Amino acid sequence: MAGRVSALRAFRHRLLRGRSDGAPRGPLSRGTARLLAVIGFLGPGLIAANAGNDAGGIATYSSVGARYGFDLLWMMVVITASLIVVQEMAARMGAVTGKGLAELIREQYGVRWSLFATTSVLIANVGICISEFVGIGAALGLAGIPAQVSVPVAAIGVWLLLIRGSYKVAERIFVLMTITFFAYPIAAILARPDWGSVGHSIVAPSIHDSRAYLFLFIATAGTTITPFMQLYVQSAVVERGVGVDELNMERAEVTSGSIFANLVAMFIIIATGATLYLHGEHNISTASQAAKALEPFAGQYAEVLFAVGLLGASLLAAAILPVTAAYVIAETFGFEKGISRRIHEAPVFVAVITALILIGTVVAIIPGIPVIALLVGVQVVNGALLPVLLIFIWRLASDRELMGDYRNGRFFNVIAGLTVVATSALSITLLAVTIGAPFL
Amino acid sequence: MATTTPPTVLHLSLIVGGTLRDRNGGRLGSVDDLIVHLGEDYPPVTGVLARVAGRQVFVPASELAEIGHARVEMVSDRLDLQPFERREGEVLLRKDVLDRQLINIDGARLVRANEIEIARIEGWYRVVGVDTGLRGIVRRVVPRRVGTNMPPGAFLDWASVEAFTGHVPTVRLRIPHPKLARLHPAQLADLVEAASHNEGREIMTAVGDDSELEADVYEELDAQHRREFVEERPDQEVAHLLERMEPDDAVDLLGDLPDERREDVVRLLPPVQRRRVRALAGYDPATAGGLMSPEFVCLYAQASKAEAIERIERSRAPADTLAWVYVMNLDRRLKGAIALADLLRAPSDGKMGDVATFLPPRVSAEAGLEEVARLMTDYDLTVVPVVDERDQIMGVVSVDDVLEMVLPRGWRRRFDVLGAD
Repeated sequence: MAGRVSALRAFRHRLLRGRSDGAPRGPLSRGTARLLAVIGFLGPGLIAANAGNDAGGIATYSSVGARYGFDLLWMMVVITASLIVVQEMAARMGAVTGKGLAELIREQYGVRWSLFATTSVLIANVGICISEFVGIGAALGLAGIPAQVSVPVAAIGVWLLLIRGSYKVAERIFVLMTITFFAYPIAAILARPDWGSVGHSIVAPSIHDSRAYLFLFIATAGTTITPFMQLYVQSAVVERGVGVDELNMERAEVTSGSIFANLVAMFIIIATGATLYLHGEHNISTASQAAKALEPFAGQYAEVLFAVGLLGASLLAAAILPVTAAYVIAETFGFEKGISRRIHEAPVFVAVITALILIGTVVAIIPGIPVIALLVGVQVVNGALLPVLLIFIWRLASDRELMGDYRNGRFFNVIAGLTVVATSALSITLLAVTIGAPFL
Repeated sequence: MATTTPPTVLHLSLIVGGTLRDRNGGRLGSVDDLIVHLGEDYPPVTGVLARVAGRQVFVPASELAEIGHARVEMVSDRLDLQPFERREGEVLLRKDVLDRQLINIDGARLVRANEIEIARIEGWYRVVGVDTGLRGIVRRVVPRRVGTNMPPGAFLDWASVEAFTGHVPTVRLRIPHPKLARLHPAQLADLVEAASHNEGREIMTAVGDDSELEADVYEELDAQHRREFVEERPDQEVAHLLERMEPDDAVDLLGDLPDERREDVVRLLPPVQRRRVRALAGYDPATAGGLMSPEFVCLYAQASKAEAIERIERSRAPADTLAWVYVMNLDRRLKGAIALADLLRAPSDGKMGDVATFLPPRVSAEAGLEEVARLMTDYDLTVVPVVDERDQIMGVVSVDDVLEMVLPRGWRRRFDVLGAD
């Protein structure tokens, strides 16, 4: 979920009243600036890209690996291609129009369509927000702290961080915590999977005829191509003032970020596939089970490692999501944004942020909630709502009047179209299956 | 923020989509959009864009009798089918203004047009305001019948609103934004920073008519936006802008330019400004670096006399710096010099390396004014080359630049009084 990289940056910009802290100023030459950009993007950039593998992502990829071993690896390749295409369109629109996606939908399609898009994004966002707080509860639960204690404390902490606007340091700590997820590739290698069958699974699609497979398929699409993050790739491009002349740099970043984050995701699947799946543990229902995938590397410390990573990823996203939601609402309804960038100057912001954190907290402290099932379930909703936004992105990016010479080329339109058709087909199938038979 | 509630306020979203009727109430087609002429405090409706039998037609204001929710009535019962063409200063309210950002001049903020309010004042329909609140959105989302019965709310007076028109596709449609002049440069800079790039450029273009104001706005902009806008301006315009800025801000702005453009822009500045900018950019004005001009002619030793002459002919450098022509070796090190007159007298088949035998004295950029003046006196030179640590020529100081600095202050003042430059 490379988009979070940009989302993070956009968010930071906004908290800093739109002033870029890291942007080279004045006497720095263009060459130096580019060098800095490359360094910044290889180091912290990739770490942050991985931070996008949040609570829902970890749960989904772990479930995929435990349930089907390497069988769904091929799908990650396909989804990565789609993700790159979708993010490139979003970045390109941002660079060409200088406007956010919600803003463009509003200007090009009017209030009703805009409300429709916003509502679907909001539903997805509320779901993800809940999943992040569930993730916090699950991570600290591994340390023996009940969610009823840990989640409210974390929620108040996140709320204060956002309202006080002193988020920057905390963000770095959260991102650093997610580095522990780099243990997955090591664990995957140490688990000595059958690389031949890994390779075979990547190139040869295997499809199971079952509802659970469909759910996991959609959840994986939903957590990898998160709807809200497409909005924020675009907003980040706009916020940083990226022009069409810098588009290739942006494309490279989007592409490498997507590939990198999804590689980590694939290693999560391989690690769980080589451990849990082989040991016959096909249904993960707790965080402690999911943590076992790290055992080949960390042994008895697997749970600690998993907990730290999960906590970092969950806190990071729990802080970003409410703000992203607030921006979508501001762009759609035309509430003040931009000039009074400070959160406390805008009541709507505080209201939306508070509401989202509250909803997330309340759901996460319900005793005995099925943690993993809920996390994956949220991603299913995400995946089901994905086509709505994708269709808008696709249509806007191919609009001749809006994009001029930068509109989608034929190649792009084919891949984007296939992504839209495939996700839509999956959503409709899901809907049919859900209506036809009770959920899970 | 002036708010008014005139008795009969019409809402654009309820007019659009209504039916176009003739004098007798017969249905002709549907209303697609309203056309207004911007530029006045309350822009008048100049026509209606309607869809009649699947074709888009233009109905000028002179043909319109009444505009209302759900129906627009014509004066006659005959429809003269005119295709729509945008005229200077005209915009389509729904397509170009509704749902887009506007500048609220009174608050110096960007707002979004959730609804556009129209009323009949002084005999004709004019845009009177814009609804930026929730009410405007709700009215457009609920069914039409419910929306029509919703009471009108408070709205922003159009007289304190400026619409962006940069996205309007008409070629060279340039609508002035006179209201922007009421804002303080810092407020304008804030707006530019908050707006999208194209909208920001529109503000900058509008402000550009007043070059003093433009320079002030540039001084207030943050580095990121300053860079965006300065990069797309040609050298001449940037120089023009720099002239009007405080020297330290000018140096900042210069720093936003790509390396290869900086020197070109500095060159275009008048001498006084150029020296000041150089001084702030790192060189003391009383050193060779601060005094030097980057314009000179320097050729490789292998070049022929003809090539040298050609270079001089093409050069834009002032005559005094061209009094000497320099020669460098393949490492670009300064190897010799020849006075222009001697070059002309040299045999025409000569190589520059052979004719430019004089090894000129040179100074570093840090060399003081006195050192430069002394070299000029000792060697009887009108031009002294300035070289970097690799002995490559960076610029030349000519005698008039030095004279200006060493001339006693009183002398210079008398010169001014005499009317000389």
